[in-house]
Order: sequence, then structure tokens, then C-alpha cells
Amino acid sequence: MWEHRALYVAISPFYILFAVFGLFPIAFSLYLAFHKWDGIGVMTYNGLNNFKYMLTDAEFWQAVGNTFMIWIYATIPMLFFALIIAFLLHAPFVKFRTLFRVGYFLPNVTSIVAVAIIFGALFANNYGFLNYLLQSVGLPVVEWLDAPWGIKVAISSMVVWRWTGYNAVIYLAGLQSIPQTLYEAAKIDGASGIQSFFRITIPMLRPVILFTVITSTIGGMQLFTEPQILVGNDGGTGAAGMTIVLYLYRESFINNYFGYGAAVGWGMFLIIALFSIVNWKLVQGKSS
Amino acid sequence: MIRRKRTCWTAILLVCVMLVSGCSIWPGQNDSSSNKKVALTLWYWNRSIDDKLIAKAKEKFPNIELTAQKIGGDFKAKLKTTLAARSGEPDIVALNDWIMELFPSEDRFYNLYDLGAGDVEDQYLDWKWKQGVTPDGQMIGFPMDTGPTALFYRADLFKEAGLPSEPEEVAHQINNWDAYSAAGEKIKEKFGGKVFLTDNIGTVYNQVLSQGTERYFRPDGSFIGMDSPLVKQSWDTAVSFKQKGLLANADGWTPGWNAAMNNGEIASFVGAVWMKQVLQEAAPDTSGKWRVTRAPGGDGNNGGSFLSILKSSKHPKEAFEVIQWLQSPDNQLEQYKTLNLFPSAPGVFDTPAMKEEEPFFGGQATGPVFAESAQHVPEAFFGERYPSVHNIITRRLNDIAKQNANPEQVWPDTVQRVERELQR
Repeated sequence: MWEHRALYVAISPFYILFAVFGLFPIAFSLYLAFHKWDGIGVMTYNGLNNFKYMLTDAEFWQAVGNTFMIWIYATIPMLFFALIIAFLLHAPFVKFRTLFRVGYFLPNVTSIVAVAIIFGALFANNYGFLNYLLQSVGLPVVEWLDAPWGIKVAISSMVVWRWTGYNAVIYLAGLQSIPQTLYEAAKIDGASGIQSFFRITIPMLRPVILFTVITSTIGGMQLFTEPQILVGNDGGTGAAGMTIVLYLYRESFINNYFGYGAAVGWGMFLIIALFSIVNWKLVQGKSS
Repeated sequence: MIRRKRTCWTAILLVCVMLVSGCSIWPGQNDSSSNKKVALTLWYWNRSIDDKLIAKAKEKFPNIELTAQKIGGDFKAKLKTTLAARSGEPDIVALNDWIMELFPSEDRFYNLYDLGAGDVEDQYLDWKWKQGVTPDGQMIGFPMDTGPTALFYRADLFKEAGLPSEPEEVAHQINNWDAYSAAGEKIKEKFGGKVFLTDNIGTVYNQVLSQGTERYFRPDGSFIGMDSPLVKQSWDTAVSFKQKGLLANADGWTPGWNAAMNNGEIASFVGAVWMKQVLQEAAPDTSGKWRVTRAPGGDGNNGGSFLSILKSSKHPKEAFEVIQWLQSPDNQLEQYKTLNLFPSAPGVFDTPAMKEEEPFFGGQATGPVFAESAQHVPEAFFGERYPSVHNIITRRLNDIAKQNANPEQVWPDTVQRVERELQR
């Protein structure tokens, strides 16, 4: 090993950067979770108090509930639309395919702050575009940003808008890796289009679907910028848009409970880990 | 093999040299050239100090090399992380009305009394001065601008509703929150519910509270309790405004608020002097229709800033000279003219600049109204946990205003949440 030291030095930047910006913060947040610290003064050992407080904190559990609701509102339509879009893009009759692929990817690289401002204008209670549409067809206005479900719908729609194209492109890659011969064989055996979609496409896509479900689980659990910009640090009316990360941010950087914030971070880690395992079992379950 | 190894090492070394040379790590390059000038850095945010005044300060103090840095984004978070990191701290820093959050870290700041602040104490508003002094008697914040409050109202709408419309009459007749609420019901009736008395529940709660002499804590740090008469009165007033349908539910700093103001859906609000600017930008179509008068229920304060010197500074004396000059009564007046920053030095309240007529307010000179208010702000102790307690209460009030939560149920729950908050 020693004789290759030059090569190890050459690959060391990643490990050094990871140790400084990845490993150290993780270890430090674990240390912090057992302390009381306002961010400036002295740290005092606090034992398990932060965790005890978290488990009995109504606001924390509300944030967990909100995060799951928003995740469900967002992920199901998002993956459904993504699959349909990918299927259409893959279909032989579609022209200008590259253009569409780029187009569907565009929302993902748009500044999230700009997106949140536009969605804020769409969903605004007074003078919002959606309410304008509702009014112009004679329907009553909806107080989107004051109703608990309305806030969640608004946040979810931002997630759907931003990530559908991204997932569609991943599904498209999955579709393209399915050997054409399978479809040809099915055709010869007299299978209909729908049959080959459910019997060939979906099973062959399973690993890709699993991948998108896991990534959107992790992404959905870490939702932060959308609610923060749309409804503010307090999660909007009745804290209906308060997600776990937003709560972590508010407790740490607004209320200066850094130790508690670290504990919430570790709580979130456990939730994501558990939830990912459950998802994995569910999606994987049938094939094994 | 050996040759290849050597080239490899040389390449790594080269990369390192290039990386290091990119950022200069050799200090003291400036020291030699500038004849031992004292270097000071100042952090402020946009529009908190006039840039021209800073340029003048550089002329005024030739022995000081003043580097003023306009910090964008979340100023408070940036300052706190810098304090936590204990490196890269500026010498002088501007603080907003969240100064009390930093009282527990008073040892990180110079006590301005030690630097001679006591000599100019009588030139500034007493209550404002005390906001920069910690319970231990250390002065960590030097007064900048203030935010005295007054009633902003639409003279045309008040007149149409059969209410007094001249500032003196309004102040005389609508001089408490009950009278104000009754005026709101008249407006509601006259305009068929299309015009609301005021913008949102938070405004009402904040303003009633800001007119009192106590908040949530005593100066020794102990909690007064949620049954404090002032808190209860502020809460009840805010809830009654909701129940009588006097609120437009328009939150500040939103496009909805701007639109409601501009479309004449809101007839009045109690706000700080800096709302003048906000209102003019939000509601250009209503120019000439607004007036300002003393607020129902009394005068209060909302906002305002301070300048501090961090303990890490090597030149506190010079830093204090700069601060004292920047915020001298004359220069505060200068900044009132350029940036609308309301002075905390009552000595300049009588100058012509403070009595200028403003077309947006129908030719009324609003300066004297705020000057009068500023001199009658009741002195109050905030305490470092004020923001978190205040935030819990205003959040729950919002639930009442916007989700029609039952106040009878929300109150005990709020009390419980505040008590829990204070236990940690």
C-alpha cells in the first residue's frame, strides 16, 4: 500500500472534504443533540432531555404528520404522471423527442425561489390566479393558503411541478433498457398493448420504480424551501405547512435551540430510514 | 517507474501551490502602505445607514480605515454564526430590535458606558437608550433610529362613514380601542363589509401590547405569567376585532396586503413610522387620501436599530468615536432626510426638516405626530425570550383569525405551550 502513496494522495481531496464537510458535521450534530446551546454561549450537557422534549412535542408530531401528508399528496400524482410522460416519450410516433426531454427537465433546474413566488401568486387567497379562474366560472373562492389542506395542496403542487419531468426522464431511461425482443415475442403470442404494458413494462421497470420511490421519499421527507418561501418560517396558518426540516430550521436558527434542532435532525434520520425500508419492502415485495 | 512517480508528485505539488496561491493567506499587506491607520470594519444592512454618511465618516476620521460592509440575506443568522465561529467578526455591527436576544452573550460586546457613552445619554430618548442596556447594566447597543407608532387612516373613507376625518378630531374622538372598534363597525356598515377597519389580527395584538409598560418578563428574568392584565387585554382586543369582522386578514409583506391597501379595502391601521415608506410603495393609487394621527390607546414603538462594538475589536475607542459621530443628533437628522430613518435624538424634532408636508398624506406634516408619539413611548422590559413567547401567541391568534378556531379553546392551549416553552 505504501508504494502507492502518491495515488492515495491524489484521491485524498474527496476524503478530506468529506471528513471536514460531511463526517464532522454529522458527528458534531450527534454530540450537539445531547447538549443545550444557544449558538453563541457555552454548551451545557443536557442528557436525553432534547429527545424527551421532542417525543412529547405536539408541534414536532404535527410536522411529521404534515410531511407525510405532503409526501403522499405529491408523490402519487408525480410518479403516475412521470410514468405516463415517459411512456409517451418512448412511443415511436412522438417527434422532436429531445426537445420534449429537455422541456420536461427544465422545471427541475428552475430557481426554486422563483417557483415559490409564482405558486404564491397562483394560490393567493385574494387576487390569486386560481381563485380568479374559480370566480370567473361562478364557483366560490377557496382560501388556499389559510386552509390546512389548501396549504398542503399548494406545496405538493410545487413538488409535482418540479420533479415530474425529472422522474419521467429516469423512467424513460428504464424503458429504453427493456429489450425490444420481449415486446415482439408478446406481439407474436397475441398480447394487446395494455397487456404488454402491465406484464412486461411494469415488471421490468420495477428496479427503476423502486429507485424513484426511495429518492422521492428522501426528498419528500427533507422538504424545506418550498414551504419556507410559500408560507414562511412558521408553516403558515395553523402551522399546516410546517415540515420536519422547516421545524428543525426554525428551532435552531430562529429560536436558537441548536441542541434541540440537532435532536430533531436525528429523529428525522430515523424516520427516513424506517420509511425507506417500508417502501423498499412494499415495492420489492411482489417480485421476490 | 521512479521517473513516473516523481512526475506524479510534482503534479500534486503544483496543484497544491495553485490552490493555495488562489487565496492570499499572507496577512499584513495593507499595514505597511497606510502609515499605521486603524482598520475598522462595520456591518450594516441596506438602508440602515446612509452610504453618503459613511463616505463622509471616512473623511472625518483620516486616521481610521473604515470598511463598511453591506450584509445581505439573513443578517441576524449571519451575525450569530460569525459570533459562534469566533472568527471574522467585524468591529462595529448594526443590530435590529432583536438586540435582546443577544443579552445573554453580553460578554461578547464592549460595555459602551466604559467607552464614555454616558456623556451623551441625555441627548437620546430615555426608553430607546434603555433598550440597549442589559439587565446587568451593560450598554451593548447605541441608539440608531426608532419606530414610534401612530394611526394611519383613510380620511376619505372615514368621512364617508360619518366619522371625524381631521387628524386632531380623530385623535380626540377615537382615543381608545373601544372607540376605534366602534368606528370599525360604522365603516363595515357603511360599505357593506367591503372595507375593513384594519389589516390583520397581529397588528391589533402587537399595538395594544406595545402601548403598555410590561411585556412577558420582569427585569430579573422571571415570567410575569399569561394572566398579566396587559397580555390578556391585548389578546381580548385582538379577538374581539376578529369576532366583529373588522379584519381584512391581509398579512404584511404580501402582495395581498399591497393590493388590499391599494384597492381601498383597508381603512386604517396602527403602524410604526417606517410604514410610511411601505404604504407609499404598496398603495400608490391612494396617494393624498391617507392621514396620520396619534393612535387609539396610546403611543408605542415597533422596531428601530442599534450599533454595537464586538469584544474582538482591537480598537474600541476609535470604533466608539465613529459610532458616536454616525449617530449624532445632526447625522440622525441627515438620515431622516435621506432614508426616512426616524431619529432617536429628540433635540432635532423641532427642525424644519421634520415638519415637511407630504403629498401622499394629503399635505399633512406627519413628522410632528411621530415626534410626539416618540416622546411618550412607555418604557418596557423585553427579555431575551420575548421573541419566542410573542411568536407562539401571535401564531395562535392567526389560527383564530383565519381558521376560525374557538378562542375559548385556543387560550388555555396557548398558555400551556408558552409554559412548556419556558421550561426548556
